[in-house]
Amino acid sequence: MKALTANRLSDGEVVFWAQGAWVERFGEAEAIEDDSRAETVEALARAQVTQIVDPYLIDIQPVADGFAPISYRERVRALGPTNKPDHGKQAIGGGDVELLNRAHGSARSSGRVNLIKRK
Amino acid sequence: MYSYDDIDREMLIDRVAEFRAQCARRLAGEITEEQFKPIRLMNGLYLQLHAYMLRIAIPYGTLSSAQMRTLAHVARTYDRGYGHFTTRTNLQLHWIKLRDAPQILDDLATVGLHAIQTSGNCIRNLTADPLAGVAADEVDDPRIWAEAIRQWSTFHPEFSYLPRKFKIAVTAARRDRAATRIYDIGLRLHRAESGELAFEVLVGGGLGRIPYLGPTVRQSLPARHLLSYLQAILRVYNRHGRRDNIHKARIKVLVASLGAEEFTRQVEEEWDRTDKALVDLPDLELARIRANFAPSGFATLAPASAAFESAKAADHAFARFARNNIVAHKTPGYCAINISLKVPGETPGDCSAEQMDLVADLADRYSLDEIRVAYEQNLILPHVRLDDAPTVYAALAGAGLATANIGLISDIIACPGLDYCTLANARAIPVAQDIARRFADPDLAERIGELNIKISGCINACGHHHVGHIGILGVDKKGEEFYQLTLGGSGDDDAALGQILGPALPADRVTPAVDQLVQVYLRERRGEERFVETFRRTGLAPFKEAVYADAH
Repeated sequence: MKALTANRLSDGEVVFWAQGAWVERFGEAEAIEDDSRAETVEALARAQVTQIVDPYLIDIQPVADGFAPISYRERVRALGPTNKPDHGKQAIGGGDVELLNRAHGSARSSGRVNLIKRK
Repeated sequence: MYSYDDIDREMLIDRVAEFRAQCARRLAGEITEEQFKPIRLMNGLYLQLHAYMLRIAIPYGTLSSAQMRTLAHVARTYDRGYGHFTTRTNLQLHWIKLRDAPQILDDLATVGLHAIQTSGNCIRNLTADPLAGVAADEVDDPRIWAEAIRQWSTFHPEFSYLPRKFKIAVTAARRDRAATRIYDIGLRLHRAESGELAFEVLVGGGLGRIPYLGPTVRQSLPARHLLSYLQAILRVYNRHGRRDNIHKARIKVLVASLGAEEFTRQVEEEWDRTDKALVDLPDLELARIRANFAPSGFATLAPASAAFESAKAADHAFARFARNNIVAHKTPGYCAINISLKVPGETPGDCSAEQMDLVADLADRYSLDEIRVAYEQNLILPHVRLDDAPTVYAALAGAGLATANIGLISDIIACPGLDYCTLANARAIPVAQDIARRFADPDLAERIGELNIKISGCINACGHHHVGHIGILGVDKKGEEFYQLTLGGSGDDDAALGQILGPALPADRVTPAVDQLVQVYLRERRGEERFVETFRRTGLAPFKEAVYADAH
């Protein structure tokens, strides 16, 4: 299971792919089950050069009532910095934020597809 | 301090106009990210985890009040009301929007600030002794020479595409407060036997994946030949430095692989055939720069201050602040005041816009309009009358800026780590916060004495962990945050790289482990020994035993 993420070009905001649009909240991201569809979506995103920067696929897994990125790094991106709970998307709160906060494990290396190859 | 002249101002205006056009082209899709990325990086604009990050250069760590106020304005208007001072004495803003970046650079340019030489494989913004012009043990103001190097190196066509980034630190004092042994080039100005000013030149220090302390390649270079000698070093590096492997591209790898002796021979050979007069700074220009740093505005005062002494006697907290944060000034009746950005539990190096404004006001009123940034991620008011110190302290205390912990265990260096940085493997800030909270009791911290903890969230070592008395390196171990501890490092006169204590520890074991290390030190120390001295006498064994006892 995968999601597609990027940073928005104009302001750097972390965004996620959702059925052809870019959304700010991970809770609204599209969970892509099919690997070949994931690759197609990634290729589509790469062409959107005036909207986003550096799109890439991340591994996600089912957790209670939804999904969460496997990688801790990606959860930090989806939530905001842990030293400032009032900054980033975590400041808005909501069920998807609580869900991400409950997920645990996996620092950086796992969960970002093609991390090494891309560098 | 140095004021930008017409040439500098014109350069900044042109630069911002150029970047404004480049940003517009990128936003319109006329250039790709691949084409734009090196351009934005050369203007200090990185893309981090949550947003763009702007790294603003603070050349040799010196700011005027007007400059600090402008940093506050930028933090308030375009970011989230705070900034992060780094171990390179720069300021990083973590929540910048690309569309605002040109205007920010425009605002900064009005006070001679910019983000030039904060990225890319060029000679980066210089650092210097933060007590320049203050310390009694200096032979000259090192910023004169740092400014000369800035003017020579900015946009230097031959050195804009080096194999890798290149960092220079300058000191002119006996005591090394600029960590010169961990820089690509460390410069130590002293007075040679002949009486003339001369540089000891160290080349090839650095931390990161392969840490080295820089060896001395020339003991005594006549100061007037500084630029031609730097050119010779950089030419040898440009010629032979590796470009095939980013991890082996720094000059430290070249110096280590050739050997200091052979590297020096090649530099000297290059220097011998250099037409030095073409490169070295003319005396007239040096005098012009020097005039900018001439002490001015100091009053003739008695060396001692009754107001200062009576405040110490009357107020226990001020006495503690004076002990830990106030240092002697070479001018009678003056002192330098260290402002700790290390409130236990807060993010090391962070400073709010309101705090920046206050520091600017205090500098304006009490410190001859000057502020310094120290690589330990703290600020300094360098020229305060002893008579005014109690008033300045009270103002700082009212803004959460009077933590009396300079050089103590809670004065922790930490990089932004995985909370912000795309390179990080693990978080650094929460580890620092947790340790500082454990040692927040100021009596306990003073009893422990000088102890430098330095934390990096990855092997790139922005948090200088290799040279911490206790170094902490975040690693990604099978997908979990783990922390590798090293002991006995130092970036000061007794420079040394730390030794690995043992297997990496999970996050929740780090503070208890630091506590155990401190307990061993308090048990083993003799007399006035500092932590690092006790460690050097006893070696790793007792410390290792305490931390890993459970594992046996």
